[in-house]
Amino acid sequence: MVEVTVDPLSRIEGHYRINTEVSADGVITDAQSNGLVFRGFERFLQKHDPRDAALLTMRICGVCPVCHSISAANALDDLFGVADQVPKNGLVMRNIHQAMNFIASHAAHIYILWGPDLANPAYRDILTQYGNVGNAVWGELSGRFMPLVNQFNGTHYPAGSSYVAALREFRRLHDGISLVAGKMPHPVLQHVGGVVYSPTVADIQQLIAYISETAKFVESFTLGVPPETWIENTYRASSPEKAVNFVIGHLQELLNKSLTNNDFSHSSGWGDVPLFAAFGSELVGEKLLGLPISLKLDRGGGYKNPDQIGFLSYGVFFKPEKGDGYDPTSPADSRVIPSGYMNGRLQLEKFDHTKISENITHAFYIDQEEDRPPWNGVTEPESNPDEIDYTRGSESRYSWVKAPNYAGIPCEVGPLARLLVMGEPLVTGLAKTFAENGYSPANNYTRMLARMQEILVVIPELLKWLRQDVQAGGKVAVHTELSMAKNSTGMGLWEAPRGALGHWVATGANSMTTLYQAVVPSTWNLAPRNAQGIPSPVEQALIGTKISAAENALGVDYSNPLGIMHTARSYDPCLACAIHTIDKTGKHPDRILKVV
Amino acid sequence: MLHGGRRTDNESLLEKFKNLDFMKMDRRTFIKAVGALGASLFLQTYKSDMAKALSDLPETKVVWLHGVMDSGCTISMLDGGTPDILEFLQLFNLNLLYQEVLMMQQGIFVDGKPANTSDLNSEILLEEILEKEKGYVLIAEGAIANGPHGSGKYMVLGGKIYRDIFEKAARNASVIVAIGQCATHSGVNAAESDIVGLLDHRGVAFTMEDSSKGIVDLLGIDTPVINVNGCPAHPDWVFLTIGAVALGKIKVPDDLPEVLDRWHRPKVFYPPDHTVHENCPRRGYYDRGEFETTVGGSKCLWKLGCKGPYSHADCATRHWNGHLSFCPQAGSPCIGCVQPGFPDSTRPFYVEIEDAGIVGTNLDTIAGVAIAGGLIAAGAHALRRTVLKKPEEKEGITEDTASEEIGGEK
Repeated sequence: MVEVTVDPLSRIEGHYRINTEVSADGVITDAQSNGLVFRGFERFLQKHDPRDAALLTMRICGVCPVCHSISAANALDDLFGVADQVPKNGLVMRNIHQAMNFIASHAAHIYILWGPDLANPAYRDILTQYGNVGNAVWGELSGRFMPLVNQFNGTHYPAGSSYVAALREFRRLHDGISLVAGKMPHPVLQHVGGVVYSPTVADIQQLIAYISETAKFVESFTLGVPPETWIENTYRASSPEKAVNFVIGHLQELLNKSLTNNDFSHSSGWGDVPLFAAFGSELVGEKLLGLPISLKLDRGGGYKNPDQIGFLSYGVFFKPEKGDGYDPTSPADSRVIPSGYMNGRLQLEKFDHTKISENITHAFYIDQEEDRPPWNGVTEPESNPDEIDYTRGSESRYSWVKAPNYAGIPCEVGPLARLLVMGEPLVTGLAKTFAENGYSPANNYTRMLARMQEILVVIPELLKWLRQDVQAGGKVAVHTELSMAKNSTGMGLWEAPRGALGHWVATGANSMTTLYQAVVPSTWNLAPRNAQGIPSPVEQALIGTKISAAENALGVDYSNPLGIMHTARSYDPCLACAIHTIDKTGKHPDRILKVV
Repeated sequence: MLHGGRRTDNESLLEKFKNLDFMKMDRRTFIKAVGALGASLFLQTYKSDMAKALSDLPETKVVWLHGVMDSGCTISMLDGGTPDILEFLQLFNLNLLYQEVLMMQQGIFVDGKPANTSDLNSEILLEEILEKEKGYVLIAEGAIANGPHGSGKYMVLGGKIYRDIFEKAARNASVIVAIGQCATHSGVNAAESDIVGLLDHRGVAFTMEDSSKGIVDLLGIDTPVINVNGCPAHPDWVFLTIGAVALGKIKVPDDLPEVLDRWHRPKVFYPPDHTVHENCPRRGYYDRGEFETTVGGSKCLWKLGCKGPYSHADCATRHWNGHLSFCPQAGSPCIGCVQPGFPDSTRPFYVEIEDAGIVGTNLDTIAGVAIAGGLIAAGAHALRRTVLKKPEEKEGITEDTASEEIGGEK
C-alpha cells in the first residue's frame, strides 16, 4: 500500500489536500478530502446590520461572489418579509447577473482550472503511441489547454489557444457584470427587496452585444457549430435519446472527415467539446465511435454504491412569467432550473429543505451535537494546535469542511446534479447511456460535459431575459426599513455555478443579526465522512478508481496521480466557500430559528 | 449607465503627455496622465520607454502566494484588460514562476515524500525557487494565519504552516507587493467578532489599521512592502505599480517614502487629496441636495450610507472592468473597501456615516491622510454640510422645485 497525497491541489479556489491509499496495482483504496484553512467568516456578521450581508458574504468567494450576494439577498427578502413583493424587474436583474457569472465561472473552470490537466505529459506518452491520430490529438490538447505558468525541462510553453480565448471571454462577461453591478469581483447590485440598479436601454443593448460575442467564442472554440444548432438538437431535443444521438452522429461525421487526414483542429470543426466528447470517453470514443484510444475519463470519478449518494439542486433563475415576488422555499416549478433531489438510482424526489443537516464527526469543530440543521448551526473551531492534524486517516477528524447530508445521504451538487434534476435531455441521456453500459452515470466525463452543456442552457435564457423580460428604467426594488427585520428569520436558497447554495439568517429585537449561516456547494462535494462513516461525494468518486492516466495505461505512476487530479478538480472546488465558520448559537439556545 | 459628464479629448491629452518621462512627472501630472488616459493609452504612450527598458533590463522574477483569502484578487487581475495579464507579463518582462491558480503544477507526495520534478510538483518548484532565487517580486494575496495561539495552524499547505512559507518567500524577495485587502490589512479576516483573537489572521504590514500587528513586524522581516489595497485590488493599480518597479521607475526602497502614503500605498492611485466623491457622476445631485432614500434611483447616495467622501481612490475616474462603471455609478453606496479599517470602519454600509456614530474614528483616520496631503478631501463634504447646514432638509425634493431653489441652475 502506498500513500499518495496531492497537497496543495492547485488550479482551484482555495487550499485543499487529497490523501489516498493506493494498492500495488494502482487502485485507490481509501481517500480523505482535507480543507486546509480555517477562515472565520459568518461570525463577524453577528451583532451587525443584516443588510450588509449581501455585500459582505460575497467576500467568501472571489470566483462566485454573485451567487453569495443573491443567496444573501434572498435570505434578506425573507427576513424583511418582502420576498412576495420583489418587483419582477429586480428578479430578472438577479437572473441576468447570475447567468453572466455562471457562464464566466464555467468557462474559467473548464479552460483555466480543469483543462490544463489534458496537457499533462502523461497523455503525450500515451497518445503518441497511437501514430498519427495520437500525435494529432496530443498536439490539439497541449496546444489548446496549456496553462499560463508551466515549464517542461526548462522550457516555458505559450498558454493554449483555447485557454487564452476563454480568458478573454471570462473578462468580457465580467465587464458585462460590471456594467450593471459596478465592478467584478465583488459587484454591488444585490440588496434586500431587489437590486440597486435599473438598467438603461443602452446597458441592455451592450449586454446583448457582449453575449453575442461570447456566443461567437462558443461557436469557434467550444462547439465548432453555431450554438443555436447545438441547443436546438440537445437542450431542446424532444427526448434524451435524440440529444445523445445528435452528439454521437455529429462526432461520427467529424471523424469521417478527419481520420483520413488527421486534422482535429478548431478550423476543421473540432471544437473543444467535440474533441473532449470523442477522445475523453472510453464508452463514447472507443466503444461507440471505434476510436483506437481515449483518455477514459468516464472510468474515473464515479460512484459505486447508489444508496450512498444523491444529487441535489435548490433551483436557480426566477421564472419571469411568475411576475412579482417569489416563494423563498424554492418549489420546483418556480425556477428555470428547478429544485429537486435525485437519488443514486436517478429517481427524482421533491426537494424539502428541512432534510438538510450538517455533521462534524470528522471535522475540526467542537459541539456536543454532531448533526444539526443549518438554521441551528453551531461551530466552535478546534483551538488546540496539536489537534489540527490532517494525517491521521479516515477514522479521525481531518478537515475544516463539515459534512452536509440530505436525509442522511451525501449529495453531489453542481451542473451535473442540476441538469439531471432538470431532466435536460443531453445530460439525462448521457447518464442513462453510461448506466446501461455498466458505468457510473456520474463520472468525470459526464460531470465536465454537464458543465459545458449548462453554458448552452443558460445562454438562450439570458438572451430571452435581456430581449423580452427586463424593463429599462423599471422598478427594481421594494422599499424596506431596518425595523422590518425585527425578531425575524430568513432563508435564501440559490445555486452557485458549482452547486447548491443556502444562506440562513436570524435577527433579534434590535434588528441586528444574531445568526448567519451559509452551506455552500464545496461543503457538499468535498466534505469529510459523515457520522456513519459514509465517504463524501469526492471520496466515493476516488475510491476504487485508478491513480494514473488512462487507467494506468503506462503502468502505475504514483508520482503523477492524474486520476486524483481529474476527479478532485472535476467538482470545481471552492475551498474559501467551504471553510467558513458558522454562528455559535450554542451560546444562545433561546434563539433557535423557526423553520419557515 | 449614468455618465459623469467628463469627456476628455484623448488626442490633446496624448499630445500633452507624450513628451514627458512618466516617472519624472510630479504626482499630479502622473495621476492626470494615468487617470485621464486610462492604463491602455498610458501604456501606449510610454511603450517606447518600456521597449528601451526591456532591452536593457534583465527579466524580473515574480512569485505569487495565496494565503487566507477568496482568490478575488487573482480573478480581478484576470479581469484586467488594458493590459491583460498576458500583456502585462510580456510588457514588463516578468517571469511568473509560481501562481497556484494559473500553474500546471500541484503538490505531489508519495509516502510523505515530494515526488516527480518541478515540472509537475509545485512543492519542489517552490522549494527550488526559495532556495535559489533572490530579489524577486513577491505578490502576496491573502492574509497570513497566525492562530490558534500563535501556532499558524489555521492554514497549512503542503504539510507546512503557511506563515513559514510566507516568511521564507518574504525574506528573499526584493519587494513585497501585497494585493487586496486581505493581504494589506487582513480585511474581512480580521473583522470584529467574538473569535477574531483566536483566528489572528494578519495582514502583511498592517492588521486593520495597526502597523504593530503586521506579520512582517512579528517575524522581523525588513523587506520593503508596497500595499495595493481594495476589495479587490484594481488590476491597473497592481499592474502599473509592479510595472513601474520592474522598469526601475520606482526604485526600491529609495523612492518609496516619496511614492507611498502612510499605508504604504502608491499615492497616484490612492490620492491623499482626492476622494471617490469628487468625480462621482452623482455629485451634481449632492451639490443640489437631492438624495435617494431607497435604492434604484439616480440621485446622490449619501443618505444611503455612501462612504465616497471618505474613500481615497481613483475609482470614479478610472472605473472598473474595462473602465465601465464603479459602485456609486451602479447605484450602490461606496462601501469604502480601500479604507484600511474595512469593513469595520465603514459598516453599517447603508447608514449615513453621522447616524452610524462612527464619524470620529473615520474622520480621524481618513482626514489625517487628507490633511497630510495638503488638501482636505473630506473638506468638500464638510464645507457643504456647514454652508447648507442640513442637506437632508431637501430630501424628497422634486426636480422642479430643486431648480427653483438653486436659482434655476441645472
